Amino acid sequence: MNSAHATNFSTEFWPDPAAMRAEVSHIARGVLAGAAPQIDEGRYPLDIMGSLGAAGAFSPHLDAFGARFDLALEAMHEVSRSCGATGFLTWCQDVCGLYLEQSGNPALTARLVDHAMGRRFGGTGLSNPVKALAGIEPMLLRARKVKGGYLVNGSLPWVSHIGAGQYCGAMAAVEGDDGKRSHEIMFLIDFDGCIELKPCPEFSGMEGTSTWRIPLSDYFVGEDAMIADPARPFIARIRAPFILLQVGMATGVIAGAIDSMRDVEPALGHVNCFLQDRPDEIQAELDELTGRVAKLVAAPYDGGKDYLMDVIDARAQGGELALRAAQSAMLHQGARGYLRSAAPQRRMREAQFIAIVTPAIKHLRFELDRLMREETPQ
Amino acid sequence: MSATMESAVEPWRQYICRVCGLIYDEELGDPDSGLAPGTRFEDIPDDWECPLCGVTKADFDPYVKRAAAQASSAPANPPRGVGIVVVGAGLAGWAVVEAIRAADAGTPITMVCGGKADLYNKPELSLALSRGLTASSLVRESGAAAARRLGVRLCEDTFAIGLAPALRQLRTTRGALLYTHLVLAQGARPALPAELPSALCWRINDLATWGSLQERLAQRPQRVAIVGAGMIGCELAEDFARAGHRVTLFDRQTLPLSGLLPEPAAKRLKQSHAKLGVDYLGGVEIARVEALGDGAKLLETRCGRSVTVDHIVAATGLATDHRLARSGALAFDCGIKVDPLTLAASAPGVYALGDCVSIEGATCRFVEPIARQADAVAHHVTGRWHEGYRHSRPAVRLKSKILPIELSGAPCADGEWRIIREDDSFLHMEQWRDGTAAASLRVGTAKAASFFKHGAHA
Repeated sequence: MNSAHATNFSTEFWPDPAAMRAEVSHIARGVLAGAAPQIDEGRYPLDIMGSLGAAGAFSPHLDAFGARFDLALEAMHEVSRSCGATGFLTWCQDVCGLYLEQSGNPALTARLVDHAMGRRFGGTGLSNPVKALAGIEPMLLRARKVKGGYLVNGSLPWVSHIGAGQYCGAMAAVEGDDGKRSHEIMFLIDFDGCIELKPCPEFSGMEGTSTWRIPLSDYFVGEDAMIADPARPFIARIRAPFILLQVGMATGVIAGAIDSMRDVEPALGHVNCFLQDRPDEIQAELDELTGRVAKLVAAPYDGGKDYLMDVIDARAQGGELALRAAQSAMLHQGARGYLRSAAPQRRMREAQFIAIVTPAIKHLRFELDRLMREETPQ
Repeated sequence: MSATMESAVEPWRQYICRVCGLIYDEELGDPDSGLAPGTRFEDIPDDWECPLCGVTKADFDPYVKRAAAQASSAPANPPRGVGIVVVGAGLAGWAVVEAIRAADAGTPITMVCGGKADLYNKPELSLALSRGLTASSLVRESGAAAARRLGVRLCEDTFAIGLAPALRQLRTTRGALLYTHLVLAQGARPALPAELPSALCWRINDLATWGSLQERLAQRPQRVAIVGAGMIGCELAEDFARAGHRVTLFDRQTLPLSGLLPEPAAKRLKQSHAKLGVDYLGGVEIARVEALGDGAKLLETRCGRSVTVDHIVAATGLATDHRLARSGALAFDCGIKVDPLTLAASAPGVYALGDCVSIEGATCRFVEPIARQADAVAHHVTGRWHEGYRHSRPAVRLKSKILPIELSGAPCADGEWRIIREDDSFLHMEQWRDGTAAASLRVGTAKAASFFKHGAHA
């Protein structure tokens, strides 16, 4: 199935890995690194995202572009190494691309190339559904069947990488006239003027992710916007790639923290040697993690329980290591890292974000626990 | 006026925001957004917004306090330190800890256990029902008490997920642990064939699950299907039948325990079972299992027979979960490969024992070797010299009142069995290979003879 609609596209769009790496790296280490403090405070870097898209950063994992999850993770790693917020936007864009392509809906796959090349942008409103399907919290959007589609009601909080002219995936529980929920649907919401995006309370960092609350009142979802109906088989299929792509955010922030530690080694090495979690130690753990991830990228749609557990394990480990690496980079740099514009203090908030963004470390462990338990008769 | 009086009478309620978890308390109101203290939820305007996340009133639910989650006795953030980490708190896990503490009071030990780590003797599970025992009466010491007694940090309800031997790091569902030595005593899991769905079939491999089944069987005599007439299946069949249940024992072979026993012995076992009321359905394979509406289950065999029961117990063998071994690139065949003398696994600092290991290409899931294995491992992980573990296959003993069976030596599938002695209550056979007796089998009870001095199987 994952190559079924690849034939709609020619290989002319496939990125040249070496050129993509070089260009993404050039952008990440240049203009993006310079803009990172402003992005952290609220600048939504759509211009830089456009350049990254043109460089091929958002497309390699898509079937139509070669299904190279390794390259997609490399790009996300490189972006996150300079700016965690833009790394998160990259993940949003990547996952939204998965929705469009894997939907198999011609009205949506027709939009894939523009999306993958960074000419259009969209995010993923799947934080609540992912938690809802794991039994952690209730599903917030409700849908009612009407002629030609569904009417959706409810509020989706904290959806990132959206804005006028953009879009995002969303999920709603379908309710019958008796109020009973039959199944879920997944669909694309277009922000074409019909929905007024509501501001969210200010976060302590990563404010340039264009994060809004989406109030939906009798919002019509037609066939052209349908990603999956029913949604559960679709979610089961994309769950592992969804989580796997996040590992690139974690490894990038960890690598950035190691960069910060090494930056001050010539000046402060004589005292930093008294610290725990030295750059070589963090690097060894990062290498072990990336080694494991390298084995996972070949089969993102494996579908097996063991594979899913390996992905969740890697993602949880990424979150834990990001926290330790960021904290250590802060201690290594001392006051200079504590400056308002300095990377280490910003990276601590980025690492905390990686640890709490859905699926958070606690959700990942909750899920691993569930997967490890043997089912018994009730 | 009357509204005020009603408000005063009805207790204040609380509502929780589904989105951010903010709790609206009617008694306190939300003065910042214009809701005076005492504003009832139904009186809040529809366009009011959650002061934290901005959603509206429709996204609030009545707040019901959940029972506090049972906290693990392990700290949420295990300190990054050194010490011995033991995975598994069954007989093997606790045996290692006891053996370490016998010589070393100080080395930090952390135990990782998917359950509560209570100490009990697992072989007892296959005769506990007819003795009227319960899960709690089988517990010899709670895991928490044993952990206190032995100075162990116990991570209960915690699963080991991944292993990085190069970093000496074990990843668990409660965070990563560092170790100087790692002891894998993770046991084996029931191997369930696809036609036996886990939601419909019990497996008796730990105290908690046995306890759940026991609670159901204690209610009244019931119909029980046991699939697999190996050691565990045969023991459970006798135990359940003695406890008053109607047992049907299924196996692919025409006689019970025929993987182990020559035909004359297996026939005696089948006859003994029949005396207890056990129906033996041999030479059949289960095609499918279906839940019937009233809680009953239907088993269908490939040859078209169907049996309706209240419970199905799968006794279809055990397998070592290979997850940890795979993630740590430990050598693995049917279990974690260990050095037969030291019980060291293939990565530095990692040892394994008990049901999870493979020694010279074979598993050995018996209780008897565990204490000797634990002694060897305890010596190595505390840096003391050990003469070396000597592996020998223990005698196999079927726990049965009606027909005790003991098989010693090293029988092979194609060996020639000879009857040494035979009467109504006793059968003694030997297997001869290359002119010597390679195995000895005693079935039933002979007068003036005591044959049962060896350990029980796990």
